[in-house]
Amino acid sequence: MCGALGRYDEVEAAAPPPVDPSLRMRAAIGAAMSRSKREIPHYYLAHEVDLGPAMSWLAAHNASRPPSERVLPAALLVRSVALGLQRAPELNAHFVDGRVAPQESIHVGLAIALRGGGLVAPRIERTDTLSLDELMVAMTDLVTRARRGGLRASEMTGATITITSLGDRGVDLVVPAITPPQVAVLGIGTITERPRVVEGQVVPRPVVTISLAADHRVSDGHAGARFLHHVATLLMTPEKL
Amino acid sequence: MTRDEVIARLRAHLGDLVGDAADDLGIDQDIRDELDIDSMDFLQVVRAVHADLGVEIPEVDYRLLPTLDAFATYVLERL
Repeated sequence: MCGALGRYDEVEAAAPPPVDPSLRMRAAIGAAMSRSKREIPHYYLAHEVDLGPAMSWLAAHNASRPPSERVLPAALLVRSVALGLQRAPELNAHFVDGRVAPQESIHVGLAIALRGGGLVAPRIERTDTLSLDELMVAMTDLVTRARRGGLRASEMTGATITITSLGDRGVDLVVPAITPPQVAVLGIGTITERPRVVEGQVVPRPVVTISLAADHRVSDGHAGARFLHHVATLLMTPEKL
Repeated sequence: MTRDEVIARLRAHLGDLVGDAADDLGIDQDIRDELDIDSMDFLQVVRAVHADLGVEIPEVDYRLLPTLDAFATYVLERL
C-alpha cells in the first residue's frame, strides 16, 4: 500500500500499523526517514541564489495575466531542478538492492504538507517536459488532490529527487533527508531581501538558499555542486525556462 | 454588497481550503499564520475572489491582505 513518502509496507514490523490514518502516516514517515538516516550516507550542499532576474521576469510575466494563469516562483524552481537533472544524470537514479539504477525519465517529487500534520510527496510526471504554465497546472492539481486525499498510488513512486519548500514559513536553510529509493532531495528556503555586492555597490537583492542532500553511494559532492550550479544558473536566466 | 457579506464570501473561499477553521478566524488575525495558508493556497483564494466577485488582485497587492478585515476593505474599494 502506498502512503506518505512511499510505501506503508516499509513500516517496521515491530508493532501492528495504527488504525488512525494520521498515526499510520506518521508511522510511515518515521519508517522511511529512519531507513533514510540509517542506510543512506547523506552529503549536504547549499547555494544562495540571486533571484533578482527571476522575480523581475515573473512580475512582468504575471502582470498582464489573470490570477488563474499566474505562475509562482515555485514553478521556476521546479523547472530549474528538472532541467538541471538533464545535465546531472547521476542524480536521476534510484538506489535499489545495493545498486544504482539510472532512470531515463525525469519525475520530480513535490513534498506537500497536509492540513493537520503529515506530508506526501507525489511525483510530477515527466517534469522536464512541462512548460512553466503546465507545471503550475500540475502542481496546483497535485496540491489540491493531496490535501483532499485524492492522489493515485502510482503517483507516489518513481521520483528520483524530491523538492521540499519551507519558504512560506520563514525558513532560511532546509537540511532535508532523502526518501529511499530516491538519491537526492532539494530544499528551498524563504525568498528574502539581503544585501549583496553588485558591480561594487551594496544593494538589496531577493535571494533564496537552495540546499541539496544527496546519496554518497550514488554521487559525490562534485557532481552535487555541479547540479546546484546548473539549477542556480537557470534561475538567474529565467527567460531560458 | 456590505462589508459583512464580503467577509462571509472571503471566509467561504478560505473554508473551501481549510474547512471549519475558517469559521473561527478573527477578522484581525493573520490569515496565513492562523490557517497555515501557503503561497499556493493564497493564489487559489485570489483566483476564487476574482471568479466570484470580479476583483482582480495583482501580486504586488498581496501584502495588503494580511487579515480578513484588510482583505474586505481592499475588495470593497474595488467592487
